[in-house]
Amino acid sequence: MKKKLRDFIFHELVFVAEPDQFSDDDDLLEAGLDSMGIMRLIMFIENEYGVTLPDTEIEPDNVQSFNALAHWILRHQNG
Amino acid sequence: MSASVNQVELAVNNRANPYNETHIQSLLSAFNRQCQTAPDNLAFIEGGRQFSYCQLRQRASQLSAGLLTRQKPCRRVVIAVDRGIDAAAAILAVLGAGACYIPLDIKNPAPRLNYIINDAHPQYIIGKGHCPDWLETPELWLDIEQLDCSQLSTCWPAEVSSEALAAILYTSGSTGVPKGVALSHRAMRNFSGWASNTFRISRNDRIASLAPFHFDLSVFDLFSSLSCGASVLFVPAGLTLSPSRLTAWLSEQRISVFYTVPSLLGFIALKGSLSSISLPDLKTVLFAGEVFPTQQLKKLCGLLPDVNFYNLYGPTETNVCCYWPVDRERLKSGQPIPIGYPACGAVLQIDDETNELAVKSASNLSGYWKQGQLINALTPDGYYHTGDKVSLNEQGEYCYHGRLDRMLKCSGYRVEPAEIESALLQCPEVINCAVIGIIDSACGQRPAAAVVLKNGAKLDTVVKSAKQKLPAYMQPCKYIELESLPYFSNGKTDYLKLRQQLEKN
Repeated sequence: MKKKLRDFIFHELVFVAEPDQFSDDDDLLEAGLDSMGIMRLIMFIENEYGVTLPDTEIEPDNVQSFNALAHWILRHQNG
Repeated sequence: MSASVNQVELAVNNRANPYNETHIQSLLSAFNRQCQTAPDNLAFIEGGRQFSYCQLRQRASQLSAGLLTRQKPCRRVVIAVDRGIDAAAAILAVLGAGACYIPLDIKNPAPRLNYIINDAHPQYIIGKGHCPDWLETPELWLDIEQLDCSQLSTCWPAEVSSEALAAILYTSGSTGVPKGVALSHRAMRNFSGWASNTFRISRNDRIASLAPFHFDLSVFDLFSSLSCGASVLFVPAGLTLSPSRLTAWLSEQRISVFYTVPSLLGFIALKGSLSSISLPDLKTVLFAGEVFPTQQLKKLCGLLPDVNFYNLYGPTETNVCCYWPVDRERLKSGQPIPIGYPACGAVLQIDDETNELAVKSASNLSGYWKQGQLINALTPDGYYHTGDKVSLNEQGEYCYHGRLDRMLKCSGYRVEPAEIESALLQCPEVINCAVIGIIDSACGQRPAAAVVLKNGAKLDTVVKSAKQKLPAYMQPCKYIELESLPYFSNGKTDYLKLRQQLEKN
């Protein structure tokens, strides 16, 4: 899952020259993920994983890193 | 063009247009009247902090006195304070002292900030706290907390000519460096007065202010509101990342008018909890800065059935010159929405050959500010050529069809690819580069870069260098490395081919 998220984010939203050096805990918001990026990311996640992410959970904490994103998506896939 | 010709033309324009109130000199005159007639109304609210009109006038006039008692005569003052009560009070103080304000986006990288400051030739920079390390001209720094002067200006706001400059708003420049759009009291008053009238702003309004002050949307937030006795509520930073919290804030704060960019409104429509949080006080939503995709606007209109929406259009140089009250019936077709009818008393012309829109308006800029001088930006008969392609439809509405040049709109920000290219070329690893906009159906444009690097150079260095030189909204979201840029035989860059290469990768 993280690979797909990485591909999408680094390809479409935030450019990181060396993705290998960007850890799953590194700060995506600091890397340049902004409100427009978050909107596109959420549309991507909902289509790709068949989940509906509740409006009230769209918070910086849930999109801060790849680990946070994966954790957030899994919670909705299992629920 | 000579000043006298310009004034005659404006006077002619005034008779035809009741909104051109050039007889009111300072942009602050109407605010000053509100301070006398409704002193206890709330002017500014930011979190737990608030200023009534009377308190705001006192604070601003004290700061003005603090500026005027200094040695140097004060003509231009940079505001290096983040959006909020303090920065807004500083702006009023600068105007009240008869000077012109230059708002900075202090989150910009240092080289860009220093460039703007050096270009503006200010006498002072109002900031908060100690002078920051990056500033090349620390002798100009004034801490807003230390500036307070106990003596009040007796005559506040200072009388100024309506042609005096009120603000210089720096925007992205096609020559590769930021460009200062110089606006007079007349221009800003003409727009803010038109907007107050058209959107019927009153003392009962609570206006949400989100736009940074270097962005022309803030002219409405600050001056249309204060001239009518309305309250301005500064939206807490960070809420744009969480649309449902933003909606909750709009609801709790009983916001009645909100002027922002389509990309944020689109996010609210998609994920802003609008079906569960009601906004009974919201009556007017204005948007500008980029094209609002019709499907998203339709969705938002469906969720907010009682709100009046308006599409406002115009480059910073003219402020708003066209507006369209959104007709919900028309959204059903899914066609792009028009930019509508002339606003602010503007006279519009379309070039027969290029379809470029030219605007003659009392809201037009006085000129570009460059190295301490005003450079004319209008044709001899007072028109500003926008670089936007438009047409007039059967209903008599103007419709927007994109740019004649390469300018991009990213989240409402104007981005000149030349400014990004110039920053990339400053990196010693880069031999050549070209920047284009990648179009995204959901959220407008984003810059993408193709670079030609020196042997053995790493793209990483270029990306890091760009992050130190350009603001976040100008950072390319995509880079590709090429052996050479695609060219036509005449030596011009083949942007179409470049686009194919960037979209393929």
